[in-house]
Amino acid sequence: MTKDATDLLQAAESILAPWAKETMRPEPARADVVIAPQDVVPAATALHAAGWGFLTAITGLDLGVEAGKLEALYHFCEGPAVVTLRVTLPRDNPVIDSVCGVIPAASFFERELSEMFGVTVAGTPNSDKLFLPEDWPDGVYPLRKDFNPAQLR
Amino acid sequence: MEANKFIVPIGPQHPALKEPGHFEFTVDGEVVTNATIRLGYVHRGVERGTEDRTWVQNLYLIERICGICSHIHATAYALGVEKLAGVTAPPRAQAIRELFCELERIHSHLLWVGVAAHEAGFDALFMYSWRDRETVMDLLEGLSGNRVHYSCNLLGGVKFDIDEAQRDAILRGLDFLEQRTHHYLDVVTNDAAFLRRTRGVGMMTREQAIEYGAVGPVARASGVARDVRVDAPYLAYDQFPVNTIIDTAGDLEARFAVRVRELFESYRVIREILDKLPPGELAAKMPRKMPPGEAISRVEAPRGELFYFIKSNGGDKPERVKVRTPSICNFGSVGRLTIGHQLADAPMILAGIDPCFSCNDRVVVVSTK
Repeated sequence: MTKDATDLLQAAESILAPWAKETMRPEPARADVVIAPQDVVPAATALHAAGWGFLTAITGLDLGVEAGKLEALYHFCEGPAVVTLRVTLPRDNPVIDSVCGVIPAASFFERELSEMFGVTVAGTPNSDKLFLPEDWPDGVYPLRKDFNPAQLR
Repeated sequence: MEANKFIVPIGPQHPALKEPGHFEFTVDGEVVTNATIRLGYVHRGVERGTEDRTWVQNLYLIERICGICSHIHATAYALGVEKLAGVTAPPRAQAIRELFCELERIHSHLLWVGVAAHEAGFDALFMYSWRDRETVMDLLEGLSGNRVHYSCNLLGGVKFDIDEAQRDAILRGLDFLEQRTHHYLDVVTNDAAFLRRTRGVGMMTREQAIEYGAVGPVARASGVARDVRVDAPYLAYDQFPVNTIIDTAGDLEARFAVRVRELFESYRVIREILDKLPPGELAAKMPRKMPPGEAISRVEAPRGELFYFIKSNGGDKPERVKVRTPSICNFGSVGRLTIGHQLADAPMILAGIDPCFSCNDRVVVVSTK
């Protein structure tokens, strides 16, 4: 039988307590834990060491030119529960540490985040293009809100 | 690069399957010592494209992410958008969606049996399995009018009901397929020539499967009990549950056996749905604009967990749709698993994860020694 989502989320929240700035429960089986950018590696390491779930995806979000912020969401799944580590980064110089040291499978998620949103992932084992062609212009990030296909012509 | 290293480039045209990917195998004699994978040849910018289309238009765009598991993409998207809207599709619609999901799994797994058999040089099995796959394609066409993009989903429900004649046709088709599947299980677990290509090849331990983040049948063939249908039931999977199929061997044979045995689960659950199809409406009313918020939906595609993150800003178009397909989780293992094997085993190991390039087009570079 599946484990109860509430218990799993509580376990994850107590693992993440040292780094949590804010915790939300947007859906019954989800917890969003806001952490500082420099805490992403220790927080991911703690979840990994406790055997809580696996890194399912990293979602990038652009909050827009006016807000001047990007967000990176690290989704971990265990049974029915999803815990998301939310990190806010400045839009003009977004840098975050790689979690590949503890979770090697994060490599392609980090590369996607990097080329689509212009986030520099420090220490990621491979920073080559993932989706985009080799001749894609530098400094053009197609999932940022101010991306205009005319930039490519 | 040392001068005495040999690199064998394969692809990007049809390295194994009829989809593009580029592979560079470093070999010592016939033995692979390193593998580099370069994908990205069918990247189409779908995630960005969703931001310029309405919620309803996106249903049709998203169904076209994949030409094999089209329905599961549309289902994951519809479930996420329905969460944002606070609408639940009626029970009959959920059961019909599940039925389509399982018919899709049957056609996908049979397709895969054929492709993988072809890679093994066993073309008789390839042709038989694809002949039999036509049975399920005809059933899907009979239900929806289409073989691949059934377009059965609406936001809030489904378009198609199932009448008596369709029900009988499905049951007849399943009886035939079930009998054929017994034969396939016998072949993939007993045929001596075939087993020389699969037994002990591409071994992945449970620990490795977890480390590489493997999902779906690939993970389950290494003893990792991960199946969203069971772990986090969606649609009607709590009313019509499936059993997780596990194998602990972790080699290619296990990946064959797990997928073939999953077919029996699909046949069983489809019969159960047809037997106890809940009565009622096919669709609930959905708003044109979605309330602001974020939703995550997870479903079990034929290849493993498919993950959608959808954000609404309150408008008639999504703010962001993030798609994480199962193949990207499984690709990571291919490069590592080929190392130490004969070069001739590489296509089989690639086929063993049932990669879907269009779904997930990305690039993975694996470096080892």
